[in-house]
Amino acid sequence: MSVSRRTIMAAGGTLVAAVAGGIVYEGWRLLRDRYPPTPYDDLLDRLNSREDARRIGLVFLGRHRNFTPATAARALRQRIGAHELSAALANEVALGGITEAAGWIIPESVAGLCALAASV
Amino acid sequence: MSFIDARQVPNGTQLTPDLVVVGGGPAGITLALALAHTPIKVLLLEAGGMEFDSATQQLYAGDETGVRYIPLDATRLRYFGGCSNHWGGWSRPLEPIDFEQRDWLPYSGWPFSRAELEPYFTRAQQLIEAGPFLYDTLAKGDLPGSLLPLGPGGVYNSFFQFSQWRGNANHLPTAFGHRYADALKGIPNLQLMLHANVTGLRLAHDVRWVDHLDVATLSGGRFTVHPRHIVLACGGIENARLLLASNDVISAGVGNQNDQVGRFFADHAIPRNTATLVVFGGEIAGFYKANQDARGAHFRATLAPTERFRREQKLLGALPTVEQRVELDEIGRAAVATTSAALGVDASNAHAYSLGTGLELAPDPERRLTLIDTRDALGMPRLKLNMTISDGDFASYRAILVELGRQLLAAKSGMLRLDRSTRTEWLSAMDWGNHHMGTTRMHEDPKRGVVDANAQVHGLANLFVAGSSVFPTYGASNPTLNLIALTLRLADHLKGVFG
Ligand SMILES: Cc1cc2nc3c(=O)[nH]c(=O)nc-3n(C[C@H](O)[C@H](O)[C@H](O)COP(=O)(O)OP(=O)(O)OC[C@H]3O[C@@H](n4cnc5c(N)ncnc54)[C@H](O)[C@@H]3O)c2cc1C
Repeated sequence: MSVSRRTIMAAGGTLVAAVAGGIVYEGWRLLRDRYPPTPYDDLLDRLNSREDARRIGLVFLGRHRNFTPATAARALRQRIGAHELSAALANEVALGGITEAAGWIIPESVAGLCALAASV
Repeated sequence: MSFIDARQVPNGTQLTPDLVVVGGGPAGITLALALAHTPIKVLLLEAGGMEFDSATQQLYAGDETGVRYIPLDATRLRYFGGCSNHWGGWSRPLEPIDFEQRDWLPYSGWPFSRAELEPYFTRAQQLIEAGPFLYDTLAKGDLPGSLLPLGPGGVYNSFFQFSQWRGNANHLPTAFGHRYADALKGIPNLQLMLHANVTGLRLAHDVRWVDHLDVATLSGGRFTVHPRHIVLACGGIENARLLLASNDVISAGVGNQNDQVGRFFADHAIPRNTATLVVFGGEIAGFYKANQDARGAHFRATLAPTERFRREQKLLGALPTVEQRVELDEIGRAAVATTSAALGVDASNAHAYSLGTGLELAPDPERRLTLIDTRDALGMPRLKLNMTISDGDFASYRAILVELGRQLLAAKSGMLRLDRSTRTEWLSAMDWGNHHMGTTRMHEDPKRGVVDANAQVHGLANLFVAGSSVFPTYGASNPTLNLIALTLRLADHLKGVFG
């Protein structure tokens, strides 16, 4: 396939737009949440409030000392995949996937997300 | 006929009824009412008068060891009507599982199934005046509010009904003495004697028969009763005391040749603030928080474990109820906000409530009543209670709460926090139901029980026991409806015995 000047310009335009868009997005995120980027943002972005999640996560981590963020993130991505979080949780809870954090009975994946939020 | 005052009975009198009923609480009164239209001449002996009297009440005092329990003279009432003079009226039939022998629950099982009591529940329900016998069928009809949605699982919306003395302006629970006094006075074959304390059961020479009972009054009166048959209906503690204290012929006491009398004492533990229930959608229906009326019943909801769940998970009974509204702490608010958002539900109007429960205890032979050296004003040895509660009992309830938490998440209707974990925490907010059970337990084998399936004391041809002291396994349901059904069954048996 031959690449025309017009295509390159269009692609370049998209790239510029994408980069610019990325900056705007990151900037918005930074403004909104003041969080530096992490390798787990695809997961953490599913949380309502990272601050709230951090609170629960810290308690959870206190009782799960061998928690490793990378392993947990892999498991969470596998479990949640491209599903809506709420649908994934419904399935998980129906199968008994619950745990305890600060006395609260919560879905395992919510605990995992909170622990991630507390470990980054 | 009016009631007789035992203090007026001349010393040395010998009375000879067909049947003597010892104790005028719900059990004794039920029996007297049930035998009303028979030719059986019944004498009911009640220790107290029509009202509370501290000298009589003092006869109930005793000692305690082990886990803190209510003093023995504060956990019951010694006057006509017995503990029904201040009971709460909470009522619920035992469940079929409560009667089953379960391999995983030592000493469990009744000698018959719940079906045996079924014919008596309607009448028992009438006697406690709790409206139509609806209980779990309430969930199927119209209710003044919505049931808490729960995902499929081991906990379901179940119901208590309440005794409510119909003629009483304050809608108090039925106080059997006052409520049924007139009906009892109208029974031609019944003599009812107040202030008559039975102090001993005296065996015949062959020790297979109770020959007579000693009766004493606090005014110094002494007389005897020589009946054909006897039913002890003195309550779940005093039934055992009377048997143990009647030790002039058999040193271990009447019916205690196998050292079973007084063992297996039980009550329902009522730990408070055991969990926090959050309802995402806002206020929970009123009938979870307080008694309400529907379909002629005064009722309240409980979040109870299903029988299937209990069997599968090997769990004791528990009946959690909503106590009061509570505020969440910072972590609690974070947990609710995070979880509800993850579930995709709005919890901006969430309400939180504390949960209490009535808890069944596993049968324990060491949770027992024994006699001590001190004596009461009538010369009867007093009792000591050794109270126990095992960590397993708490763990069993915790498992029910965890399942409830899971089902709330599954239904996206709420969440739950467990508020007690250590033994110290459980015991720190512990009440008791005042439901005295188990001390003259029912078992076909005399080595494992005091009475047989007909409530007859093993080895004694003319002695029976009525009341929750015969319950060999307890369930979480409140005892009175069930002990009344059991007493009605005993009345039918006695009609057969008397021909
Ligand atoms: C504060 C409290 C709240 C309760 N709430 C509930 C509830 O909500 N739901 C429920 O199901 N149950 C409840 N109960 C338990 C309920 O009251 C009992 O299950 C019921 O009263 C037992 O009936 P009974 O006839 O076997 O014994 P009792 O009610 O104890 O009656 C025994 C009678 O025998 C008499 N007596 C004792 N010794 C002698 C003697 N030596 N000679 C002659 N007479 C004697 C006593 O004076 C008494 O009248 C409660 C109890 C209390 C104390």
